[in-house]
Amino acid sequence: MQKQILGYKCKKCGAVHYPYRSRCKKCGHTEWKGLDIVFDTVPLPDTGKLLTFTDVYALPADFEAVKLSLGIVELEGGQRMTARLNIERPEIGMKVKGKVELVRDNSYQKNFGMVFYADK
Amino acid sequence: MRDIYVIGTGITSFTRLEYPLAEIAAYPAVAALRDAGIDKVDHIYVSNMGGGRVNHQTGLASAVVDHLSMFPVGAETIENGPASGASAIKTAAMAIGSGMFETVLVTGAERMNEVNALDATDFVASLSHPLAEAIYGVTLPSLAGMFARLYMHKYGVTERHLAMVAIKNHANACLNQFAHVQTKITMEGILDGKEAATNNPPIALPLRFFDVCPVSDGGAAVILASAEVAKDVAKKTGKPLVKLAGFGQATDTHAVHEREDPTSLTAVKIAAANAFKMAKLAPKDVSVAELHDAFTILEIAESEEVGFFERGKGHLALERGETQIGGKLPINTSGGLKARGHAVGATGVAQAHEIILQLRGEAGKRQVKDAKVGFTCNFGGFGNNVVCLAFVRE
Repeated sequence: MQKQILGYKCKKCGAVHYPYRSRCKKCGHTEWKGLDIVFDTVPLPDTGKLLTFTDVYALPADFEAVKLSLGIVELEGGQRMTARLNIERPEIGMKVKGKVELVRDNSYQKNFGMVFYADK
Repeated sequence: MRDIYVIGTGITSFTRLEYPLAEIAAYPAVAALRDAGIDKVDHIYVSNMGGGRVNHQTGLASAVVDHLSMFPVGAETIENGPASGASAIKTAAMAIGSGMFETVLVTGAERMNEVNALDATDFVASLSHPLAEAIYGVTLPSLAGMFARLYMHKYGVTERHLAMVAIKNHANACLNQFAHVQTKITMEGILDGKEAATNNPPIALPLRFFDVCPVSDGGAAVILASAEVAKDVAKKTGKPLVKLAGFGQATDTHAVHEREDPTSLTAVKIAAANAFKMAKLAPKDVSVAELHDAFTILEIAESEEVGFFERGKGHLALERGETQIGGKLPINTSGGLKARGHAVGATGVAQAHEIILQLRGEAGKRQVKDAKVGFTCNFGGFGNNVVCLAFVRE
């Protein structure tokens, strides 16, 4: 199955957050089901536009690359996410399309996240 | 609430220090006790971020009391990321203001050079959101790089403006014997000249080496007291009375991408407004300020958010020389995080130290003439927890 990044939808006001939090950012609501806190999950869109970006050269020790390209993407529907970029010449406002890939493997944990490419 | 005064202050060199963390906290504390001419306090707060992780030392406050031989005084450590220092001062102020204590010592310390630069970067990156940011390899410089890119795009700030912040703060640090980087830099050397690309390599574009603060070891301390104690101390020492007239704190989303406008530092704006309101002062009253320039772009952005300049106009004031010593509103006379250095848990206290020297007229060659009102902004995470302080000379 295609991996997806999930947003969390408030059971009361319908606001979608990413990442997860314990109370709704918009209305402060928490939905309880027994001892569990519940939000509906909704897959986040995989297309959007690039809001800002950077090329980072000073990396945490577990990265072997010389540099990483990172950005904030505004997804269709207005949600945003921080993500990895694989774009030759990134520009503010350009259209991007992402997929979930392995983004950090720091020996004790494999982390999957969104990598965005230019959307032609 | 009762009035709160500063009766003593001390600092270590910000550099690579070859002695243990608890001693780095104790040294400025002893210097502050000497400055105030007292030998004990009612309570101690120690501000630090990395003791447990970087130095394998927890329960730092107890170790500091032991160094100070001040048993059985109460003490605890306050960790609030890079805003730990001002957070500890705020907490001490509430303890004096409430009438609980007459004197409280705040000492901040950090010893980052016990680990290599990569581990230090990784440690500081642990401030970012673990699931939405850190998994991508996000570090604090990368958040600053993304912030800077959008900010420059929006407001016409250029690499030249960023370099002007660095050049100014390095020049100020050359007048501060405790500063980490006492080296003059020039536009030729870091931007225009043939060697510039080598001297000033990229860190998190558009930010380069000279846009980023150093990783420092260091400690700084202040002692707060009630009016009654402070007036007594002032009589003995002959030093001007400095009042901590206001403090403010505010928080913002953990993941930067969740902010409505990722170029707004809303927590800075609210924390500053709260500090000014409590002090019954306005940004225009300030004679000298220490802002949290962990990255050059932050000095410009914060100078707008705290209310010194209009939004998007901070770089123009910088260009006109208004923020240099001798200008209308000198910013980061100590050299700032950029050049005095950034010893994380100590930084907020070091900012207060500089303001206290300025308000007492003890800042030597970097003295701002007739400084009466001083302001600090201590910025935690990437703006998710900010504490501002306002000081007044009486």
